[in-house]
Amino acid sequence: MTIDNSTDSLTRVEQIYNDYGSRAKELKEQGTKIVGYLCAYTPLEIITAAGLIPFRIKSCTDKPDSQADNYMENIVCDHVRNCFALSLTGKYNFIDGLVIPHACDNISRTYNIWKHCPGLPYTHFLNLPHNTDRSSIEFFKAVLGSFIKSLEIFTGKPISHDALTESINLYNDNRIKIHELYELRKHNPPLLSGTHVMQTLIAGMSLPVAESTKLINNIISDIKQNKHSASPGKNGARIMIIGTEVADISLIKLVEDSGANIIIDELCPGTRENFPLTDITDDPLDGLAERYLKKINCARTFFEPEKSYQEYLEKRYSTIHQFIRDYHVNGVILYIRKYCDPFGFDVPEIRNYLHSLQIPVLYLEEDYSRSSFSRLSTKIQAFLEITSTYE
Amino acid sequence: MEEIKKRETRKIATETAARVGLMVKGLLSEARKAKEEHRPVAYTFICCSYDEIIRAMDIVPHWVENYAGICSARRDAQRFLEKAESNNFSRSLCTYALCGLGFDAQREESGGMPPNAPWGGQVRPDMMLSSGQMLCDSRVKWFQAARSYMPDVPVYEIDTPWPQYEDYCDYKDVQNYYIKYIVEQLRGLVKFLEKQTGRKMNWDRLSELVNLVDRTWNLIWETYELRRALPTPMDTGDAMNTMVPLAFMMGTQQAYDFFKDLHDELQHRIAHKTGVISDEKYRLIWGGGLPSWFALTDFNYFNSKGAVFPVETTYRMIEATYNFDIDLSKINDPLEHIAWRWVKYWTYWYDRARKRPHSQPDVERLIQYIEDYQIDGIVMHEAFSCRAWHVGLLGQLKLLKKIYRNIPSLVLESDIVDISSYNEADTRARIDAFIDTIAVIKGK
Repeated sequence: MTIDNSTDSLTRVEQIYNDYGSRAKELKEQGTKIVGYLCAYTPLEIITAAGLIPFRIKSCTDKPDSQADNYMENIVCDHVRNCFALSLTGKYNFIDGLVIPHACDNISRTYNIWKHCPGLPYTHFLNLPHNTDRSSIEFFKAVLGSFIKSLEIFTGKPISHDALTESINLYNDNRIKIHELYELRKHNPPLLSGTHVMQTLIAGMSLPVAESTKLINNIISDIKQNKHSASPGKNGARIMIIGTEVADISLIKLVEDSGANIIIDELCPGTRENFPLTDITDDPLDGLAERYLKKINCARTFFEPEKSYQEYLEKRYSTIHQFIRDYHVNGVILYIRKYCDPFGFDVPEIRNYLHSLQIPVLYLEEDYSRSSFSRLSTKIQAFLEITSTYE
Repeated sequence: MEEIKKRETRKIATETAARVGLMVKGLLSEARKAKEEHRPVAYTFICCSYDEIIRAMDIVPHWVENYAGICSARRDAQRFLEKAESNNFSRSLCTYALCGLGFDAQREESGGMPPNAPWGGQVRPDMMLSSGQMLCDSRVKWFQAARSYMPDVPVYEIDTPWPQYEDYCDYKDVQNYYIKYIVEQLRGLVKFLEKQTGRKMNWDRLSELVNLVDRTWNLIWETYELRRALPTPMDTGDAMNTMVPLAFMMGTQQAYDFFKDLHDELQHRIAHKTGVISDEKYRLIWGGGLPSWFALTDFNYFNSKGAVFPVETTYRMIEATYNFDIDLSKINDPLEHIAWRWVKYWTYWYDRARKRPHSQPDVERLIQYIEDYQIDGIVMHEAFSCRAWHVGLLGQLKLLKKIYRNIPSLVLESDIVDISSYNEADTRARIDAFIDTIAVIKGK
């Protein structure tokens, strides 16, 4: 699908979102190799520097994952199972390779299954440590070095220092634009709905980074010039959503259709993976190792204990606290996928922390599926009524 | 309690394995005694890479997974699972961790051991030593979560990863940076322990213990290899006992002596052709998955059908170090020695996998055991709450059948701790059907 530049920016986003993967397919037909990946921990800068297009394999809410049953245990989270099931159906048969980072057991323990089933010419496991101390950074740099080598073998071309730095800059530009997009939601009512933002981020995961940046830039420019009304136009509750990876806009739309505005998140895709920038360093791997290991605030990482437990909580959740203040949040939805161990173990402490801030919290643990959303609707509406009393 | 009294007791084949119950009680009472005497006690994990280090520093371990297994085997874990659930931990999380966290929550709330705590209970630690490896998310998170009940107890996490198997490259190209990293992580742990205890590491003692662990690994390997005999003198039912000195007492003379006794007993049983059962018909491999600790009598049920398990992959977390492609005795730094031993353990089957197209190390291990132990069928267990050990088993089975042969298989489904996931009648009906299938195939 060629992007139609004559239509307004949000319509273009919707086209790309609805036909997810069409641009990658088109590029593949033109001879570019596409490398699929799961999770925010894949260093996209390196894939792009190798002359390849990174493509996020995503799940969806309305396709059952039963096709995975013969290969993948049903105790794997539904996100990974659904991604795999979609791959088996041929939805992603344009990808030439796959990178699996050691993000969590759900992802890393399924590496061998991915490796054998879709039968891809290139697969690579990226071993991330859980710790973030100096030795972990050095180790992770060595892991990134091996990743680069594997891509060089795959493409038959070296990845130059300059290409890597240029790629880092491209992704930094993209993330700065995403940050600007979020800034539009600080207004009351927000100038852009949470649904539109999520749709944009998801669409971007399927595009070359420069095209994604251009798309976001156009949205910002259109909104600033009042070219279209992307604002939900309502002064509903200002809700933050925290949780695991989301597959599509369904959850956010469900909340916004209930009368609230999702104005900030800590999700993937979302702020967790898109806000941190990469420092430009003499050795580009220094900046990349720091960004991916230390700046992405995911529950899979071990967080160094502080002197006191309260200090630890303050540091661990300082970003969330900052978001709550900056975006004038008056309620938080904590959405955890079933069988997500890293986030599951954080639930009590994050709830306690949010309660200490005297902010209402709705905790939901579900499969990310259309059938579960119909159940959630009532809970969300009840929560929004409570939230309104805190405004 | 009434239910516990009525519960069927599992029959143990070897006299040595029958001693394990007392040894476990000894481990728990040692931790309680250490607390009374103000000696440092640490919460510790199985397969942690730091066994010798804590022993050399006289830190008394309390093995949290072991304690959850005890609660499960005593069928007294539900109250702790429910406590954790009431504190907003999802029931879909690791039930070892939930049992431990629920126990900690009850103990910290009441200021004493929960009433009738199985085998005396789990003591309050002075520190918690985490070891995530590449193995288990829950272990990275567990002690962090436990701090909400024990905010004053420090946590230390070490990463001890190993190279992932890739078809297109040799892990030996990257192993050196793995070793360097693990050594640095272990060095960090030593520093932490020195700070916590106010004592310096005795490096000579550590070297002695490292050597003892090498010898213990070799002895265990030689002992377990004796189980190849027909009839097998010991099966997986007993190995779920002998895993205690293997996993929770490594680096102690007691563990070495235990396996020396087991070795002697197995040799004696082989000489007298004393099998686990008198009429051994079918030889099975426990090919993956942790056991349902509350249902270990299922192993006896297999035995009642003429089936034995001469070998298992679960808890066989050793290899003979003299089979490694590196001479460990030439590594003088004890931390480096530990690092090499573990990396060589995790990568042990890699070279073999590279020789067979489309193979992978865990499947290669299954193939080797199937041939060495003359196996007729494979049994696995899917525990719903544990992704670390149970995700990938179906894939292994599929690949095994594709690259090797169509061996009969049975995948049981339940949990390690949560008994509500278990249905004895269904489980045994499935075992019956599986044995019938093997009987037909063997009869052909």
